[in-house]
Amino acid sequence: MCTEVHAPAIEPVVVVSNERVAEGVSRIVLDAPRTAGAVEPGQFVHLRVSRHADFILRRPFSVHRARDGRIEILYQVVGLGTRALEDAVPDDVMDVIGPLGHGWHVPEGAHRALVVAGGLGAAPMGMLVERLAERGIDVTLAQGAPSAGRLLARELFDSLCSRAIVATDDGSAGLCGFVTVLSAEQLERDRPDMVYVCGPEPMQRIVAGQCASAGVPCQVSLERLMGCGIGACLSCVVITHDGLKRACVDGPVFDAADVVWDTGADPEGGR
Amino acid sequence: MSSVDMRVRIGELELRNPVMTASGTFGSGREYADFFDLGRLGAVVTKGVSLEPWTGNPSPRIVETPSGMLNSIGLQNPGVEAFCAGDLAWLAQQDVPVIVNVVGHRADEYAAVAERLDGESAVDALEVNISCPNVDAGGMAFGTTCPAAAEVVRSVRAVTDKTLIVKLSPNVTDVTEIARAVEAEGADAVSLINTLLGMVIDTRTFRPVLPRGVGGLSGPAVRPVAVRMVWQVAQAIDVPVIGMGGITCPNDAAEFMLAGASAVAVGTANFIDPTTTVGVADGLERFCATRGIERVTDLVGAAWKNQ
Repeated sequence: MCTEVHAPAIEPVVVVSNERVAEGVSRIVLDAPRTAGAVEPGQFVHLRVSRHADFILRRPFSVHRARDGRIEILYQVVGLGTRALEDAVPDDVMDVIGPLGHGWHVPEGAHRALVVAGGLGAAPMGMLVERLAERGIDVTLAQGAPSAGRLLARELFDSLCSRAIVATDDGSAGLCGFVTVLSAEQLERDRPDMVYVCGPEPMQRIVAGQCASAGVPCQVSLERLMGCGIGACLSCVVITHDGLKRACVDGPVFDAADVVWDTGADPEGGR
Repeated sequence: MSSVDMRVRIGELELRNPVMTASGTFGSGREYADFFDLGRLGAVVTKGVSLEPWTGNPSPRIVETPSGMLNSIGLQNPGVEAFCAGDLAWLAQQDVPVIVNVVGHRADEYAAVAERLDGESAVDALEVNISCPNVDAGGMAFGTTCPAAAEVVRSVRAVTDKTLIVKLSPNVTDVTEIARAVEAEGADAVSLINTLLGMVIDTRTFRPVLPRGVGGLSGPAVRPVAVRMVWQVAQAIDVPVIGMGGITCPNDAAEFMLAGASAVAVGTANFIDPTTTVGVADGLERFCATRGIERVTDLVGAAWKNQ
């Protein structure tokens, strides 16, 4: 793992492009030299989409790729912030706080990795797969989406992974079913040294369970509603076996074995 | 350079400028030290500290609202001992006055925390939080009746000579009554407003978004309410008022001071831009300089004093 840690900073960024890349998903490319040079795989930026809207909070986004002084973000329109983001055009100016958070850990001596991505969970996997490939690690990617048209970053993954297999809910590409079927098969067949997971939390929980049974270490990138993004406000807590952690600074990547997945039993209110 | 005298006095505390942080929005300052020198602030007000560790509320803990947000953090904190060993030890190394926000479920818990902190030289003042809307026992329950507010302040006043600030809730019929009650028990200053009680219901699930139903509304949306309450309280009591509620820029801070605040705090805006506090401090100095105002204290209450 890269040992140099870059302190987060506020950086003004300029929109380079903003376009649809899959059904319901767009990619915005931002000119952000400082952040692009400092960000590690799995880290995120806290983006201030607009200064003139009635929504005030920043939005956290994984950095999908970082190159040539630019960062790429994949996003789905889900609310006010992403709707405003969709309207951004080249030369618009925004700002990010970044790079933030604790990213993916690539252990020394790893030979074989399984990357499991569900839906927009492909976003933090771009930089990861690039890093794994750089390190000469054999990568199998298992990717799931509702339909073929919603599979993300296919070209990047196909070019860098030894195997890239897919599952779709409607069977329009690959296996008809959940990506967790693929992850179970691959864990059995490939015996990876490390599994990396991002996607809807129930899917992450299932893959984490599969890894625990198989005795393979597993990292998950968790999503939470965030306020400050820098560890102060305690909005984005994750329940772990070592107490409450903050997704923004202790994560978003966690060792799956540390996460208390059964969140039906939250701590009692106000105590 | 500007010759504006930016110093203000709150109880025994002299601040280099009137801009502080609002409790709960700034951690203990460590997270913000990456972005600017904390020594440029009037004071750091820490997150709430209780006698024992509190785990806070279930997620989700925040929801965005028009020009604001609701929070239901629930005063998660590691307890006063861990606070002293960790965050306070770090803050003691910084060149900035430290005001510790104190919370409790009962009056004697507030007093126990205050007594523990009384022995810490790094603590310059205490802010007694009788206004958090996100806990079942204590918090706002103490800040909405005069006898309960008085009881907490009396019990804390009995164990410390440090400057005592009492943070007031806006969720009352007449905030000036509570302000008078805590002043009578020896509060050196009051701070207001804490968050306004609010709720957001998810129209897809038919349920409140926050697990406790209610949360505390903050951000620019609450500013006119806060300015009005500072205006009322500043004219009702003799001790200084620390004004807060939706401050995002120097002009907002000036507005609070004109309403009668001797100092101001920046809260939710720290989440939007972590450097908001220093921007407000520098801008407030420019605000005075360009108007030929020599002392920032000249702003205090000018909206009603000069009528």
